[in-house]
Amino acid sequence: MPVVSFALAAIIFVSGAAAGSVGALLGIGGGVFLVPLLNVALGLPLRNAAAISLTTVIATSSSVSAGRSGEHLINLRLGMLLEVATVAGSLLGGLTAHLFSEITLQRLFGIVTAVAAFAVLTRVHRRNVVRDESIDPGLLGGRYYEDESGGLVTYRVKRLPVGLLASFVAGNVSSLLGIGGGVLKVPALNAWCGIPMRVAAATSAFMIGVTATGGAIIYLGRGDLPPLAAAPAVLGVQLGSWAGLRLAHRLPAKWLKILLVVVLLLVAALMFVRSTR
Amino acid sequence: MSERFAPDNLEATLGRVLGIGVTLSTIALGAGLASALALGDSLLTMTLLTAGVVMLIATPVARVVISCLAYLRRRDWTFVVLTLIVLGELLASIVAAIRSRT
Repeated sequence: MPVVSFALAAIIFVSGAAAGSVGALLGIGGGVFLVPLLNVALGLPLRNAAAISLTTVIATSSSVSAGRSGEHLINLRLGMLLEVATVAGSLLGGLTAHLFSEITLQRLFGIVTAVAAFAVLTRVHRRNVVRDESIDPGLLGGRYYEDESGGLVTYRVKRLPVGLLASFVAGNVSSLLGIGGGVLKVPALNAWCGIPMRVAAATSAFMIGVTATGGAIIYLGRGDLPPLAAAPAVLGVQLGSWAGLRLAHRLPAKWLKILLVVVLLLVAALMFVRSTR
Repeated sequence: MSERFAPDNLEATLGRVLGIGVTLSTIALGAGLASALALGDSLLTMTLLTAGVVMLIATPVARVVISCLAYLRRRDWTFVVLTLIVLGELLASIVAAIRSRT
């Protein structure tokens, strides 16, 4: 188990704060950035980096969802249905994740996030909500009160298999890459499944905790999770999610989507750079 | 408005479960960090840090258990089954983790 130095603790604290705020704004736990930071930039072994990252993702998920309860943005039914796909993905992770080499996996991930960025970009000005209470939201859709639209808004779920596939893949690569997979779930839900940006972010933030838990349990059992590293991560997440939740109320959905596009393009670039190392 | 979209207190309940779990874990990990700085690698430090990590990881599991019980009480069988499947996988991870230790 590596010794957690003061500098490493400070970096984990700042990363936790960033993860918490991005989690609150976009529903992404930040693992996709944290693992290369800890592994490549700081030289921590991959299994320790992934374990610390999964812990940060869990803290972000719990902290953001707790802070958000009462807003009716988390679609519980959709979230729990998609969690089954995530769970199936992570159960099969040991079998399917080794079908590709690490470099192929990084390139595929880069392509997928670049396509997702483009898909979100084309829909920046289109909303998935309608202010019409007579519309039936269906079995999995929902309604919530939105200041931005000035009233109760309704949405319906479209192309559910795309959401199931994104959740499956997210679970599949979760413990291998140390991520919660929000970076796949949020664009899929918003760009293809008809879910409003705020609901996609809140529901993803709710789900990534469960996605990351399976892997975190395994890493903890193997002794790969340095407990001291979890402390600055959680403290940082608490600060970041507190700030992020306050900011999320003020930002229009359009800006949340633009922020998502920027994050997705950064992930795509990061994956391509890593695959050429 | 159908019953499904009536103010849902399950969201509030689950929010409370997640909030309590992450707060307790933050307190234990914060105290553990303080103890590590003051006392170094002592038994108290390790106990606090381990308790904090275990509570953090147990929080999403507790959330799934409470969801399952809530759907059971509503007799919403589809979601009872869905949450049980999720719980089964998390238990499989715990079994795998225990096996990898021995």
